[in-house]
Amino acid sequence: MLELKDIKLSYGSAQILNGVNLSVKRGDVVSIIGPSGTGKTTLLKCINYLARPASGTIAFDQIRMDYQRADKAAVQAIRLRTAMVFQQFNVFKNMTVIQNVMDPLVVVQRKSREEAHAIALQELERVGLSDKREHYPSQLSGGQLQRTGIARALAVRPDVILFDEPTSSLDPELVGEVLKVIKDVTSSGITSLLVTHEMQFAKNISNRIVFMDRGVVAADGSPTEIFDTPSSPRLAQFLSSELAFQ
Amino acid sequence: MDLSTMIPELFSALPLTLVITFTAMSVGFCLALIATTLRVRRVPVISQFVDLYVSYARSVPVVLQLFVAFYGLPLLVILFGFQDFITATMAAMVGLSLYHGGYLSEVMRPAYLAVERGQHDAADSLGYSFRQKMFRIVGPQAIHIGLPGYGNSIIYLIHNVALVMYIGAADVMATAHLIMERDYNQFQFETYLVLAVIYSLMCLIAWLIIRFFELRFAVHLSKEATSIPLKTAAFASV
Ligand SMILES: Nc1ncnc2c1ncn2[C@@H]1O[C@H](COP(=O)(O)OP(=O)(O)OP(=O)(O)O)[C@@H](O)[C@H]1O
Ligand SMILES: [Mg+2]
Repeated sequence: MLELKDIKLSYGSAQILNGVNLSVKRGDVVSIIGPSGTGKTTLLKCINYLARPASGTIAFDQIRMDYQRADKAAVQAIRLRTAMVFQQFNVFKNMTVIQNVMDPLVVVQRKSREEAHAIALQELERVGLSDKREHYPSQLSGGQLQRTGIARALAVRPDVILFDEPTSSLDPELVGEVLKVIKDVTSSGITSLLVTHEMQFAKNISNRIVFMDRGVVAADGSPTEIFDTPSSPRLAQFLSSELAFQ
Repeated sequence: MDLSTMIPELFSALPLTLVITFTAMSVGFCLALIATTLRVRRVPVISQFVDLYVSYARSVPVVLQLFVAFYGLPLLVILFGFQDFITATMAAMVGLSLYHGGYLSEVMRPAYLAVERGQHDAADSLGYSFRQKMFRIVGPQAIHIGLPGYGNSIIYLIHNVALVMYIGAADVMATAHLIMERDYNQFQFETYLVLAVIYSLMCLIAWLIIRFFELRFAVHLSKEATSIPLKTAAFASV
C-alpha cells in the first residue's frame, strides 16, 4: 500500500538519505532500526512531507507523487491518511488532552464536536488517559504526553501510523506503559512503521525489520532473519552493540 | 491661575494624546503583523526592505522619526499631486505608528520563532492548513510568549507620545508647556507632577490590561504564571 522509491535527501552538503527503497503492505508492522544519525526519522518524515526529499517517488495506494514535483493535493491526501507519533511528543501545549485529540477531527476532518468528543473519549480510554482528559500538557508526565500523542494519532483513523522513537525521550520507568499501548495498537491490525532502539520490543511486535545504515536500507527481513541470522557484519555489529547497551 | 484650573486644562488635551496613542497602537500592530509575516517567510527583496524598515524604527531616535514624518510626509503628499494637508497630529500618528510597528515586529518575530518546531510538525502532519495552524496552535503559543514584550512596547509607546510636542501636536505635554508659559512659569513643579501622575496612570492601566491577557493565556502554558496574584504583581513591576 505504501512504496517509497529511491528517496534522496541532503541537508546542506550532508547526504542523509541515499536512495532509500521501502515498501509496506497493508497490515504490516515494520520496525526500522539502525545507528543514530542514519536518517530513520528523516525517512519517516519524508512520507508525510515534513522532510522534503530532493528526489524519489512515493506511492500510497492511488496517490502517487514524484518528490521533484511535489504537489499540495497529494501531500495533503497523504497527510490525511497517515498519523505520526513523535519522539518529543509534540502534544499541542495550548490545549488539554481531550482538545488535542478532538481538534484535528473538528478542524481538519470537519466532524461535529459531538462526534469528535465521542471518538476522543474512546481513544483516550484505549490509551488509559480518561481521567487526565482535562489536564494541560504542562501537568503531565512524559508517558502521559506520549499516550496523548498516540490517542491523537489514532483518533484520525489513519491507514498508516508512523512512530518515531516513541519511547526514547522517556524516563526508563515510563517506557513500559507506552510500549504496552503501542503493542496494543500494532496488534489491532493497523499498518505501522516504527523507528525504535528497543530491539526486543521490535522483535516481538514486528512482522518485518528494516535495518538502515548510512542513508540506505542495508537489510530487510523477518525478525528471525534479521536478529538470528544477520546478513552483514555491520548489522551483526549494530545488534550486538544495541543488545549490550540494553 | 491655580491647580483647580490647571488640571482641567491639562485633561482637555488628554483625548488627543489618547487618540494618537490608540492610532499608533492599532496601526502599529497591523504593520508589525505584516512585517513579521514578511520577515518570517523571507520573500526575496521585500523581506530586505522590511528588515530595513524595522532597523530604522528601532535604531533612529523617536524624536527624529517624528521630525522625518513631519517634514517628509508633506513632500510625499505633494509628490503624489495633492495639496499639503498634513497636520502635526497626523504626522505624529504616522511617525509613531511606524516606530511602534517596527519595534513590535521585533517582539512578534522572536515570539513566533520561539514556538517549538515540533508544534508545527505535529499540526502539519495532521493536515492543518497554514491558517488553521496559526490560529489554533502556533498563534496562541506565540501570544503567550510575546505578551510581556508587547506590554513593554506599549509602555514605551505611551512614553514616546510625549515627544509629539516637538513637532507641535497639542498633546498633554505641549499643553502643559503652554500653560506654564502663559502663567509666567508659576507652578512648574506642580504641573510636571500632574503630568507624571497622568502618565503613570496610563501606563498602569495599559499594564493591567496586558497582565489580564497574560494570565488568561498562561493558565495552562506555564504553571508558575498563574500563582502570582494580580495586585502584588502590579505594584512590583510598574
Ligand atoms: N532539519 C535538519 N537540518 C539539518 N540536519 C538535519 C536536520 N534534521 C536532521 N538532520 C541531520 O540528519 C541526520 C539524520 O537525522 P535523523 O534524525 O533522520 O537520524 P536518525 O536515524 O533518526 O537518528 P536517531 O537514531 O539519533 O534518532 C543527522 O545527522 C542529523 O543531524
Ligand atoms: Mg531519530
